[in-house]
Amino acid sequence: MQSDPWQQWQAFAALFTPAVAAARAAPGLTGASTFAAFSDIAERFAAAARTYFDAAKASTPAPADAARTFTDSIRELFADFQPWNLGVGAGSSGGAPPGLAPDSPALGASREHQQRWQRMAAAWRRIEEAQRRLQRMGADALQEAAATFAARLAASPPAAESPEALRKLYDAWIDCAEEAYGRAAHSEAFCNALAESVNAGSDWRRELQASIEHSAKFLDLPTRSEINTLAQRVKSLEEDVRALQNNSQPTAAASKAASARPKARPRSRKASAASPEARPAGSKARPASSKARPASRKARPARPEAKS
Amino acid sequence: MTAMPLYEALVAARHCTAGCSEKQAVWESGKAKLYRYRSIARPAVAAPLLIVYALVNRPYMMDLQEDRSLIRGLLAQGLDVYLIDWGYPDGADRFTTLADYIDRHLAGCVRYILQAHRLEALNVLGVCQGGVLSLCLAALYPQHVKNLITMVTPVDFHTPADLLSKWVRKIDVAAWVGDGNVSGDTLNQLFLSLMPFRLMQQKYVDLMSGSTDRARIENFMRVEQWIFDSPDQTGAAFREFVAWFYQENRFVQYRLEISGRKVDLRDLKLPILNLIGKRDHLVPPAASAALQRLTGSKDYTALEFDLGHIGMYISARAQHEVPPAIARWLAAR
Repeated sequence: MQSDPWQQWQAFAALFTPAVAAARAAPGLTGASTFAAFSDIAERFAAAARTYFDAAKASTPAPADAARTFTDSIRELFADFQPWNLGVGAGSSGGAPPGLAPDSPALGASREHQQRWQRMAAAWRRIEEAQRRLQRMGADALQEAAATFAARLAASPPAAESPEALRKLYDAWIDCAEEAYGRAAHSEAFCNALAESVNAGSDWRRELQASIEHSAKFLDLPTRSEINTLAQRVKSLEEDVRALQNNSQPTAAASKAASARPKARPRSRKASAASPEARPAGSKARPASSKARPASRKARPARPEAKS
Repeated sequence: MTAMPLYEALVAARHCTAGCSEKQAVWESGKAKLYRYRSIARPAVAAPLLIVYALVNRPYMMDLQEDRSLIRGLLAQGLDVYLIDWGYPDGADRFTTLADYIDRHLAGCVRYILQAHRLEALNVLGVCQGGVLSLCLAALYPQHVKNLITMVTPVDFHTPADLLSKWVRKIDVAAWVGDGNVSGDTLNQLFLSLMPFRLMQQKYVDLMSGSTDRARIENFMRVEQWIFDSPDQTGAAFREFVAWFYQENRFVQYRLEISGRKVDLRDLKLPILNLIGKRDHLVPPAASAALQRLTGSKDYTALEFDLGHIGMYISARAQHEVPPAIARWLAAR
């Protein structure tokens, strides 16, 4: 049926990835198209909806049972939907070398490294535990959404299968899912689990960075810490330069007195550079107003961060 | 509608770009650039209007396309419009703080405009996070800000409906940021997670269910570009923003300091117009409306629109209602 939005959805997705089927068969390739996931969900949602419509038409099983079957299918369909995973090291093994017991005493020349690996492994376990809690709450929210959806279906079943009815079903499901998700997401337990996931991820990344920096130092490669130190020194120097230049400007009181003079001309070009690092954008830059005049080109002040 | 015309329409629209009003860069500081828009109507208000957009998204949302441009609407009202574009920070900007943004870049823009126009004070329109920066500016440089307009601006960060605030309150933001920047992708994922079913699924079903009308598809693509064209955030400023506002709610506690100077909203005596989106899921109405009880202004006006966060910039309704409301309010002062 050409007007079926779900078929359109699939056909549309196929345009983005002609090998959708092949990609589905090879999990590693499913990321090849953003739309492959949509296509898959659309196909399964449409199949479940059709089963529901068929059941409703045949009046067997009872409408309530059909609605329950339908909502269970949807809940299953969205079970892996985890928007709260902020991708901290997703897919990684945790970074700890295999065989290192989490609580084993760290001894010998590599003591510091052993401890770092243990901390990484501990952080990884915290990430996994927090993610499990989030998944459980997500699953509970879906269950709640499904129950609400089933109740709404039972209360006002759609008249007949049509693209419009299908779309309304989908929108109704999204409403239920969003409401249930919102309730879960606002809960203390969800906020705690999300924070724990992020905080553990931060700990894990910090240990990983330290580990990589250690290797970089061994190879005499520049490290991020060194670059940060340099950047902070540059910033500090910039601030010193600005302070010096500001001190060399006329005092505020003097400027005020000057500007209070009748028909005062604009401040001298040199003095008009209110911010030492600032400049007019390009030599041609001028306000449209003929009276207005930007800070002078000649007076372009030092701009320490010009290349930043 | 079949899939192929939609696909073709999307392909045709894939290079369409946002921005429709003519503008000129007039001043810059670091990666921040100040633009002045070319006027399209007879001047109505003497003092120019500086738009301060958020750091977390690109400011072209204010001038998306001809029929969806708040800036165009403001120009049509005869306003002299400037806009500060914060640019795309990179790793070398990681130590840029909120004080740098406010005292150097933003205050620098203000000084440039005032000097160019030989004025003592100008009008400021702060949008979302830019509204927070504008409130700080007005408190720190009261002599330079004549009238302040805040649009979908959070002031009380601990209102019950503020999901983002609840999420980040227990996060160790210093550890999360580390010494680096915060990627725009991470923030996008966070924002999408606030309403994942609508923003990550239903939106695309809507796209596929509607017409392949070129204007509609191009509008969709421009908004899509804006949503995901998110600059990285400088680590230092992001850390401060989350800690000071989302976690410690310093505006409400009256204990915000920038560069060692107190930012107290009670010191704001200037006229304030607060534009609030009643269906804003990012900045709940109560988070914005709190400004009334926190500010010392005796000339405070709040206007609520039945719009969401993004709808406040680009909905057809916003085009008809928001710029005239701003222009009327400014003209009366």
